[in-house]
Amino acid sequence: MTMNPWITHLMKRLFPPQVLLPDIIGIDIGLTVAAIAAIVFLTKTKRWGWLWREWITTVDHKKIGIMYLLAALVMLFRGGVDALMIRTQLIAPHQHFMSAQQYDEVFTTHGTVMIFFMAMPMVFALFNVAVPLMIGARDVAFPRLNAISFWLFAFGAILLNISFSIGGSPDAGWMSYPPYSELMFNPGVGENYFLLSLQVAGIGTIATGINFLVTVLRLRAPGMTLTRIPIFAWSALITSSLILFAFPPLTVALGLTMLDRIFGASFFTLGHQGMPMMYANLFWIFGHPEVYILIMPAFGVFSEVVPTFSKKPLFGYEAMVVSLLAISILSYGTWVHHFFEMGAGPGVNSFFGLSTMLIAIPTGVKMFNWIFTMWGGRIRVSVPMLWQLGFIPTFVVGGATGVMLAAVPADYQYHNSYFLIAHFHNVILGGTVFGVLSGMYYWWPKMFGWKLNERQGVWAFVFFVVGFWLTFMPQYFLGFQGMTRRMSTYPPGLGWTALNFWSTIGAYVMGVGFLIMVYNIIWSRIHPDWDTTGDPWDGRTMEWSLPSPAPEYNFARIPHVHSRDEWWEMKQEGRTDEVKISEETVHAIHMPRNTPMPVLLALAFFVGSIGMVFEWFWLAILGGLGVVAALTYGSFADYSEKEISRDTILHTEAQLGRVES
Amino acid sequence: MDIQRHLPPPEPTGHGDEVEVRILTPHIAQPHFPAMQVTGYGLSLAITLIAFAMVAYHWMGLNTLVTVLIVMAFIQGALQLGIFMHLREAKGTLWHLPVLALALFIGLGIVGFSMWIMLFKSGVS
Amino acid sequence: MSTVTETHRSAARPPEFEDTHESIRILGFWIFLTTDVVLFGSLFSVYAVFRNRVALGPTPHQLFAMGPVLAETLILLTSTFTCSLSLYAARSDKLKGAVAWLTATLLLGASFVFLEIREFVGDVRAGHTWHQSAFLSGFFTLVGTHGSHVTVGIAWAIMLVLQLMSRGLTVTNRRKLYTFTLYWHFLDIVWIFLFTVVYLLGIA
Repeated sequence: MTMNPWITHLMKRLFPPQVLLPDIIGIDIGLTVAAIAAIVFLTKTKRWGWLWREWITTVDHKKIGIMYLLAALVMLFRGGVDALMIRTQLIAPHQHFMSAQQYDEVFTTHGTVMIFFMAMPMVFALFNVAVPLMIGARDVAFPRLNAISFWLFAFGAILLNISFSIGGSPDAGWMSYPPYSELMFNPGVGENYFLLSLQVAGIGTIATGINFLVTVLRLRAPGMTLTRIPIFAWSALITSSLILFAFPPLTVALGLTMLDRIFGASFFTLGHQGMPMMYANLFWIFGHPEVYILIMPAFGVFSEVVPTFSKKPLFGYEAMVVSLLAISILSYGTWVHHFFEMGAGPGVNSFFGLSTMLIAIPTGVKMFNWIFTMWGGRIRVSVPMLWQLGFIPTFVVGGATGVMLAAVPADYQYHNSYFLIAHFHNVILGGTVFGVLSGMYYWWPKMFGWKLNERQGVWAFVFFVVGFWLTFMPQYFLGFQGMTRRMSTYPPGLGWTALNFWSTIGAYVMGVGFLIMVYNIIWSRIHPDWDTTGDPWDGRTMEWSLPSPAPEYNFARIPHVHSRDEWWEMKQEGRTDEVKISEETVHAIHMPRNTPMPVLLALAFFVGSIGMVFEWFWLAILGGLGVVAALTYGSFADYSEKEISRDTILHTEAQLGRVES
Repeated sequence: MDIQRHLPPPEPTGHGDEVEVRILTPHIAQPHFPAMQVTGYGLSLAITLIAFAMVAYHWMGLNTLVTVLIVMAFIQGALQLGIFMHLREAKGTLWHLPVLALALFIGLGIVGFSMWIMLFKSGVS
Repeated sequence: MSTVTETHRSAARPPEFEDTHESIRILGFWIFLTTDVVLFGSLFSVYAVFRNRVALGPTPHQLFAMGPVLAETLILLTSTFTCSLSLYAARSDKLKGAVAWLTATLLLGASFVFLEIREFVGDVRAGHTWHQSAFLSGFFTLVGTHGSHVTVGIAWAIMLVLQLMSRGLTVTNRRKLYTFTLYWHFLDIVWIFLFTVVYLLGIA
């Protein structure tokens, strides 16, 4: 029996030995069964039309936010499983739970998924859900572009996630430094997956940055001057400006690596006077602002959560805004601290060491502001506030170790050791993830109309935070004892065994915390605690003046803002009836129509990217033509808006008890 | 500026249509003859040809030449921005100006710092 | 100063700024352009660092022929002038003028791209592919990225001409023309720096 050689070649390319491991085949089968079950369920319950109309073609920021959130939680699961696999491998010396190759693939995917496909969409979920409601807008500035951003992210995530079962995972770390990521050392398609998926998601991210910058600048309700913008919206504004100028260097770094790998250029190669370290330079011009892109929204969440749960206005609003701005500018001038060891000279290293230490000052200002906001307040320790209380010590430790790393001579010792691993998990997990989880619990009722169970939320928090400290504190000491990152295994007798053991136990405790959180969500969905007031936390900003969930048009009448904590002031002055409408004040509202263009555009990007990954240029060209076709359609299409009539609005608002009689 | 002081503050209309930062007040004008465009075109051509001649006929030493050429490029770029790109046109506040300034600052910073960082000695790769 | 009276006399504003939605889109496009500033900044930094890494390939001095490059520059400067006249005509409510100047712009743009491709093909025929050295990689990518931006601009201009002819000077079309001129002038500025940093300094 002979097979057509062309088919044999294709099968070898799609399914090289690295994807034919028993555990991967097991996961493939599980995913296929799950997909079939989902298709059968949707067909049986006749929900395809609903899925298409209500979700896939939607341009509503609230629904897009929910889709971002769900995708981010799925990715948190995937990245978390990767983390547990890493820790399982390291629980004891000489473990061979995974081969070295598979270990490389798993830590690469863990980093990439967690940064680009978990933290970023989680941040965008909160932006989408909260920012337009906070600033009194009916949608974001560019609703269709918002949908395009989401679908580009989603297809980028799919692209990276299918790599482990088709073609092989990337294995050069989440930074994918050349020369190891170059064709000479890394001939498979894994790196192509990495480059293309980040490129596709990155385009969507830049679009999101443009969108929210313009939204906050131009769509604020009348009266919401610059000094009345809620801090979370300020953080969205500043994060967006960071995205705008951080992502183009990433685009260039990834693009040039792709040219090297696929089209034979000589940028970062060892031969032809290429310069691998130039990739590191470009990557960290992006990479350093990126960590502030991740942490600023968390700062924003806490600046909303702390005043709400302390029943006090935020201490030092202006200082908060100025420190956000200062951090954003400084963050562009620190990137060399990721490669001091290149040896660019004492002048360069001193400059960047100093600029890095400077960032601690505005960050410290924020810490004190939150503490002074709580000072003398009537504090309620609800789940969002718990995450904030957990955040303060973890972030202070993470920040302090960051200053240690910024001291250049000392960094020659810490660099790429477990000390570094512990540091950045301390700030990214203990900062960003605590922040977005706090925000998730805080705005959950606004998204879905029901609250998450408090008791279960507390348990999830306790397990997560205890697990967190147990995982990462030992890693600082592992770093001091010389354990470097990315070791797939280690010998006994170095004093690392006990510390690694406890670190792994901590990771599993964190995993239990995540499972409790999932249980919390499912349980609360089945036994919903309906939020009938729209203001479950006794909030301060405009989103709490709306019903939960907000109607499609958000505000039946755009509010007029008089102060920073407008809703709180309205409640204090007994003016809450101002949000009600009457027959005379209601007008028809124009909203953008749903459109399939965004998802089709992103699909074309996906198809073209597959073509580039496998170097099937006919498919890449086909995808490119699809992109052109979708954009042309988008240019010529008639985007007349749909009208929501007065009667519909009156009817909807009356059901919510928001019409003056 | 005197006029401004006597005007009542504009009524906020929403959608960021009001001027929020005074130095970012827009200015729009459409004269009867596109004089600015013609001037801009003429100046661009002149600068380009002078720069070209400076290189072609070796008017000065290399170091001076590099500086002069780069300064001329910036002047020409500024002309394009100022004359053709309607920098001061907007509705409401000229929000694109601070963002553009930040972009130029960061873009030039990337070039300058990258050269400082990566050209420290030619032997490193 | 007269600026204050200008802004309060809102009737003087052209329609693309009178309409809130369209003015927001113009701001969005400006913000997009600022990201492109940083994109080109990154590519310039790569070129600047790689400029002397010629390996066994040609140096800039050996590679560049200034005749075609000067022609490309003059063509692009002229196209940016015609492009501004197109917007001027549109603001004077002259549809035919706007379409004619826009067509002139895109034809000039096409001849620019043609000359650039001819230059590249000549280099590659002479054996100077970007595989040869880091300098050539940086050069082709920097100049090629600008060229592909111009190509996208041409495609955009063609669609814009079609829409202007079929729908006339609607507010949406005025906004699209306005953003197109921003894009085109921006590419001209990038070219000024390319011309100076890559070509003039390359042969100086």
